[in-house]
Amino acid sequence: MPRAKFQTLTEQMFYILLCLREECCGIDILDRVSAMTGGRVNVGSGTLYDLLERFCQAGMIRETRVEGRRRSYLLTDKGRETLDKEYRRIQAQAEDYRRHMGEERYP
Amino acid sequence: MKETKRRLETFSFYDRTGLEEHLAQMAEEGWLLDKIGQFLWHYRRIEPKKLTFSVAYFPKASAFDPGPSEEQETFYDFCRHTGWVLAASSAQLQVFYNEGPDPVPIETDPVLEVESIHRTMKRSFLPSQLMLLAVAVLDVGLLVWRLIDDPIGLLASPASVLTAMCWVLVFVLAGVELGGYFWWHRKAVKAAEQGEFLDSRSHRKLQIGALVLMGLGVVYYMLSVALSGSRMMIVVAVLMFCVYMPGLFLLVRGVMGWLKRKKVSARVNRVVTIVSGLVAAYLFVGAITFGVLFGSTHGWFAEQDEETYEYHGNTFTAAQDRLPLTVEDLLDVEYEGYSREHRGSESIFLAQYQGYQRARFDAERYKEMPRLEYTVTVVKAPFLYGLCREHLLLDRTERWNRDMPESAWYFYEPTDPAPWGAEAAYRWTDREYGPRNTFLLCWPDRFVEITFDQEWEVTPAQMAVVGEKLGG
Repeated sequence: MPRAKFQTLTEQMFYILLCLREECCGIDILDRVSAMTGGRVNVGSGTLYDLLERFCQAGMIRETRVEGRRRSYLLTDKGRETLDKEYRRIQAQAEDYRRHMGEERYP
Repeated sequence: MKETKRRLETFSFYDRTGLEEHLAQMAEEGWLLDKIGQFLWHYRRIEPKKLTFSVAYFPKASAFDPGPSEEQETFYDFCRHTGWVLAASSAQLQVFYNEGPDPVPIETDPVLEVESIHRTMKRSFLPSQLMLLAVAVLDVGLLVWRLIDDPIGLLASPASVLTAMCWVLVFVLAGVELGGYFWWHRKAVKAAEQGEFLDSRSHRKLQIGALVLMGLGVVYYMLSVALSGSRMMIVVAVLMFCVYMPGLFLLVRGVMGWLKRKKVSARVNRVVTIVSGLVAAYLFVGAITFGVLFGSTHGWFAEQDEETYEYHGNTFTAAQDRLPLTVEDLLDVEYEGYSREHRGSESIFLAQYQGYQRARFDAERYKEMPRLEYTVTVVKAPFLYGLCREHLLLDRTERWNRDMPESAWYFYEPTDPAPWGAEAAYRWTDREYGPRNTFLLCWPDRFVEITFDQEWEVTPAQMAVVGEKLGG
């Protein structure tokens, strides 16, 4: 089943939005996601370009500043809501896991 | 030592996997992609090394863009930041390389990547391939119709055989490309949902094979035309292949490049280029057609043994070709004022030539001079013998009879082949007027249709001469 648009977020989407809780330009996101996850998650430059455009179109982020080709973005209320929803989904998943795998193994 | 190299690359537009592997291989051999031309890809010499290539698609780009848009430049900035250097680009196709040992790929989300490829394909590849397929279907349909209607005319003409071969190849190529893309896209969407990018694949062997066949076809056609000795055919072939096609191509490329240099918008460039291409194509074809018609009527293409004469205010051509069978071979007569024409065409499948011996209109004894006409069809490809026989014997009569009142129907009635020395012989018989003086004669490798004047009583001796001269 194809994923409904932004109903759930991929890891890359999640961390890009998380970066944009504060104003940030596209290129900085590439470094920040990697730093934020200890190199576990990397966003490709093409994927980032594509996602920034889609997030803007969906009203989840907005452009805040343009300096030459350097554009900065910031999370909107809608984006924050989506991010929160995703966090709660991941948390619920983790709680389900813990409950079913046993407390002694994962206290 | 050569510092640059040009190659004809036959990858499918969407085959990013195949392209990346090929370009990495080229870099290991010391060649780095530098520019993507209309036909050839340009490489420059480098120190042989391991490079990682990434082919990305930028759907908003166009071949008519005056240069990379600001959005495209932003995309390049992102790529540059992660170590990806733009090697070359052509419309939406962007080729990057990275010198790092394990670079982060440009695309890290297969779902987005497949969507991006599909958006790109919908903008350029799919419309152009669908249009090509539609034109090819139309042309192949016309060829099939002609194969049914006039198989001998089609298969005996090198130009028709070349055209048929080219359109069939275009039809197969466009069909395979489109089918291959849709098949890949369907699977790639499913694979992407599982987090994987499905490797794409080109049909390179098929493309190379088709190109080689088309090249051989053109060479064969040019040789056939050159050997035919027909001035008009040579002039038309030279104009089409050496002036019209390269001229139109250079003009279209020139207009597009000039408008790009003038920084004209992609939309205006597209419209002006397409319109100028269409206008130029019509003008070129119109000029060639007019020139050939004008030249024909003014004797520019007249063979050495051809002359024109005036009769009652009209201009006629009289030829003095060498004929394999003449009236004089059959009758002990000698007339002044005959025109002898020998025309024909030959392909690898069939040869068909016509011989006409007719009195000139201005001949003194015009009314009493016997007329002789024949068509010889030589079957070079034995598998076509049955088709030719059926066409000559049945199809044409059926088609004629279908459109005519029953009283005017005709058919070929078997007659004794022995006097002709043939395997089989038929005589054209008119339902109303009885036997006519047209015969169809069959030999193991050829057919001869010969028409004598109706008053001419063909004797067995004359039949034997016909068989000896035309029967092979």
